Amino acid sequence: MALTDSVRSSMTTATQHSQTATRAPARRRALRQALPYLLSLPALLVCIGILIPFFTAVYYSMMRFRLNLPMLKGFIWFDNYISFLSDGAFWNTLSISLIYAFVTVTGELILGLGIALLLVRPTRLNNAVSIMLLLPLMTAPALAALMWKLMTNPNFGILSYLVSLLGFENFKWASDPSTALLTVVLVDIWVYTPFIMILLLAGLRSLPKQPFEAAALDGVPRSFVFFRITLPMLMPYIITATLFRLLDSIQQFDIIYSMTQGGPGDRLMVFQVQSYLEFFQYTNVGRSAALLIVLWAITYALSNLFIKHWLKLRERAHGPA
Amino acid sequence: MYEKGRDLAAAFVRKQVSRRELIQRASQLGLSVAATSFFVNQAMSQAMAADFDWQKHKGTNLKLLLNKHPYADAMIANLDTFKSMTGMNVSYDIFPEDVYFDKVTAALSSGSSEYDAFMTGAYMTWTYGPAGWIEDLNEYIQDSDLTNPNYNWDDVLPGLRASTAWNGVPGGELGSADAKQWCIPWGYELNNVSYNKPMFDKVGVKPPKNLPEMVETAAKLTKDLGGPYGVGVRGSRSWATIHPGFLSGYSNYGQRDFSVSDGKLKAAMNTKESKAYHELWVKMIQESGPKNWSTYTWYQVGTDLGAGASAMIFDADILGYFMNGGDNKEKGNIHYAPFAANPAASAPTPNVWIWSLALSSFSGQKEAAWYFMQWASSVEHDLFGARKMDFVNPVRASVWKDEEFRNRIDKSYPGYLEQHDVSAPGAKIYFTAQPLFFDLTTQWAETLQKMVAKEVPVDEGLDQLAASVDKQLKDAGLGG
Amino acid sequence: MNQISTFERIVRGLLIALVLLFFLFPIFWILLMSFQTNEQILRIPPSLFFEPTLQNYVALLTGRLQTAAGNLDIAFMRNLGNSLLLSTSSVLLALALGVPAAYAFARYKFRLGESIAFTLLSFRFAPPLLVLLPLSLFFRQLHLTDTYIGLIWVYQLICLPLILWIVRGYFEDISPDIEHAYRISGHGWWKTFRKIAIPLARPGIAAAGLLAFIFAWNNFIFALILASASKQPVTVGALAFVTASGIQYGQIAAAIVLSVTPTLLLALYAQRYLVEGLSLGAVKG
Repeated sequence: MALTDSVRSSMTTATQHSQTATRAPARRRALRQALPYLLSLPALLVCIGILIPFFTAVYYSMMRFRLNLPMLKGFIWFDNYISFLSDGAFWNTLSISLIYAFVTVTGELILGLGIALLLVRPTRLNNAVSIMLLLPLMTAPALAALMWKLMTNPNFGILSYLVSLLGFENFKWASDPSTALLTVVLVDIWVYTPFIMILLLAGLRSLPKQPFEAAALDGVPRSFVFFRITLPMLMPYIITATLFRLLDSIQQFDIIYSMTQGGPGDRLMVFQVQSYLEFFQYTNVGRSAALLIVLWAITYALSNLFIKHWLKLRERAHGPA
Repeated sequence: MYEKGRDLAAAFVRKQVSRRELIQRASQLGLSVAATSFFVNQAMSQAMAADFDWQKHKGTNLKLLLNKHPYADAMIANLDTFKSMTGMNVSYDIFPEDVYFDKVTAALSSGSSEYDAFMTGAYMTWTYGPAGWIEDLNEYIQDSDLTNPNYNWDDVLPGLRASTAWNGVPGGELGSADAKQWCIPWGYELNNVSYNKPMFDKVGVKPPKNLPEMVETAAKLTKDLGGPYGVGVRGSRSWATIHPGFLSGYSNYGQRDFSVSDGKLKAAMNTKESKAYHELWVKMIQESGPKNWSTYTWYQVGTDLGAGASAMIFDADILGYFMNGGDNKEKGNIHYAPFAANPAASAPTPNVWIWSLALSSFSGQKEAAWYFMQWASSVEHDLFGARKMDFVNPVRASVWKDEEFRNRIDKSYPGYLEQHDVSAPGAKIYFTAQPLFFDLTTQWAETLQKMVAKEVPVDEGLDQLAASVDKQLKDAGLGG
Repeated sequence: MNQISTFERIVRGLLIALVLLFFLFPIFWILLMSFQTNEQILRIPPSLFFEPTLQNYVALLTGRLQTAAGNLDIAFMRNLGNSLLLSTSSVLLALALGVPAAYAFARYKFRLGESIAFTLLSFRFAPPLLVLLPLSLFFRQLHLTDTYIGLIWVYQLICLPLILWIVRGYFEDISPDIEHAYRISGHGWWKTFRKIAIPLARPGIAAAGLLAFIFAWNNFIFALILASASKQPVTVGALAFVTASGIQYGQIAAAIVLSVTPTLLLALYAQRYLVEGLSLGAVKG
């Protein structure tokens, strides 16, 4: 009896497995083939409702559509996108968003990995510390930013005060063009490093023990163990964590908007802040949608890249199916 | 005596007896102030009920969208009066100011009929009106079947009535003959100086009379106080940075945001006089403004004054008003003064923010909603809020003449009445009404930030701003 | 990994202390602020010493607050209830939908499998703002505006992709051999999934569930746009203390403390599962 493609290519084709399949009555086999779909389709169906609004938004992005200039409304194909090409503000937004995402995610990844390694032994203290470290993540970013704004206020802010004790009397935090990026990156790192930390910690703790025991027996140097065993085995976790963080970071809104509204000047005018202003304040629906579609395309491309890599790593780890 | 008191109050409400006479005669009758005001309130409700069927929409359920604000608090405190007078039921959704206008935009742009009436600022109606989301209230005010005879619309300060009326033509003059009344002024704020009296005394300075003086005084305060800075103004990247002190001073120099000719708009921010004004303003912030100026909004400017971190602010008068009470460290120390930025000007010309009430076009019960709006903006409610709550500044001339209100303010807020009385005649919106208001004014603030950070010289920055503004106006079909 | 020198012990201790200082100092400061009046918070310069007050908490719990501008009605406890309801139901639903799907993607290579998985992930990178306006129109047609069900549905955008992709990774790391052995001994698929697969992936499920809960908890744009005031979460509730007559920092700090508490309790509870990781390592392939 011929096996279908899906079963043959299954990652679980152990010999006894296919024997079970051949022996099973036809009805059960059909069920087996349908199983993966049965398991995954409910999730898909629940999300699919969102596709309709998404396509509506794509349609908006191809319109001249400003709520308060209704007489100008009309379909203009890709004019919104084309106008971005010659718009300095757009390129500024693009570069700021990418820089912001790159800096925050790199910082958080290094810090998060470092902390996860520090806490890897499941002692009571380490477990307590790892939970405590989740607190910044639990503070809603919009409120956290409000508190950071107070703490960096030159009059009442504890951080401004501490920094002035260190001799930086005139440190202006988010309000000075030269330190604004640094400040919001700092807050982002404060909020989101725990996200990466907890995922990598869970990953580290679920790695199989044998390779490490063997390496310890052979007296392999620690740096070798880290770079040749720990890191590669952890890589799928790192990719998942980085991917999610990257998707969020390139779409950062709360922290930047609460702290500087995209200023000073246009220093922190990232995608989400710009499109928020375009939509809610300027009611320029078409332009706002076009900006967000560009942002969506960027995140789509980035995640595609990551997922491809992730699947390749997985395949290598499990061997060819 | 009860009868006599009641008659007297009724005569007062019919305006046959002046307030002075009322008080004299009441005291002759042996009535206490409280008793008199009881009679007057009673007579007012009766007067309001007279000749008008308030019960017409009995049983209707209205829903309001409100901003978390003392004005809304004052209305809610008095809401039972409306409910019992009309037999209507009123529910409301209150949202924090931070997210309030996002909620309004979301509700209206989706055409939701959930809310019948809502709070708005006048600038927002320049979006809501052309978008077709709100009603022209002239049709209601002028209709004697819909509006009670004692509504007395002309009692609302003329500058405010004009500022909330626009014909919808980009650049069209506010309050023109063909203007639509997009909203009803409810409470408003104008921009003058609020200052910390003990700090001024310590340094030995008087409140500045004009901008060059303010630059000097603020610098001296910053230098001599050793801690607090001289003058607080807003600086965040938002249109809200332009509209208070900054635009009030700007218009005092006779400067405008745009010039309008043949129905086309053109940026007017880069004239010689405008550049000189910007120079002064930028210098003032650099020398004696808050260190974190570019993140300063309403809240930070107020907080600093209330906590003694700044010696004065050039911002909304009611911001100074709030900082003189509550649990603010400097409560009781804040005084007020009128401010005309231009030394050659005869009086202040403050730009205003007007919290108003608008009627949603998507409402299924517009007449009933208008009943609520006329009550909420009536003399009676305005008086209640002004006397008993923080419904300041009231928008009605008659309330500003009310002794009880004046006494309350004069006692705790030195100089407040004077700054208002001097400025009110010139108080109105000095922006040009046009659909790109938020885009272009936000960009103006962005340019100001770059100037203060010395990233661009004032001169060059304004030329760039004007060029960019002209391009955007042209793209939207508004410029020449 | 077992022999740790004294020197290394000290270095590790110092590093952990530094990490704690950076991440917890602001939290500590917020905690202190929650016991101060606004006047105490706004002192120049800021100070560590103050006479603690419970007024912020009392105001939040009883729902009444005296401010400069008179009495303020607070719906904070209701907001907290909304957040609990929305986040809990969203995460439970996302787990019910996401864990089986994650298992399917990890265990079976099936036609369109990766496309479906990627599509599910792609919902996560559609910026919320992009779909909000169309979504609010769509919701009105379906009569889902201002309903908890509608919100829980939209919250799947936040929770489901996260749970799906994190849990999938854990399933992939677990060798299928144990499951096969169990199946051979005559147990059905469902029982194998429930008794073997899920317990083995529990650290991943716990981590993903916790993170999804946190992200759902911190979101407020969906509820703000799609629901009325009575269904707003704590984030919106706490913003109500940013008032025209001043920012009530003390109340915001107390609101943060109160709003973090349920999540912290959940994290402490989930911790048992999170740390299982290492002990289970032995039985894995």
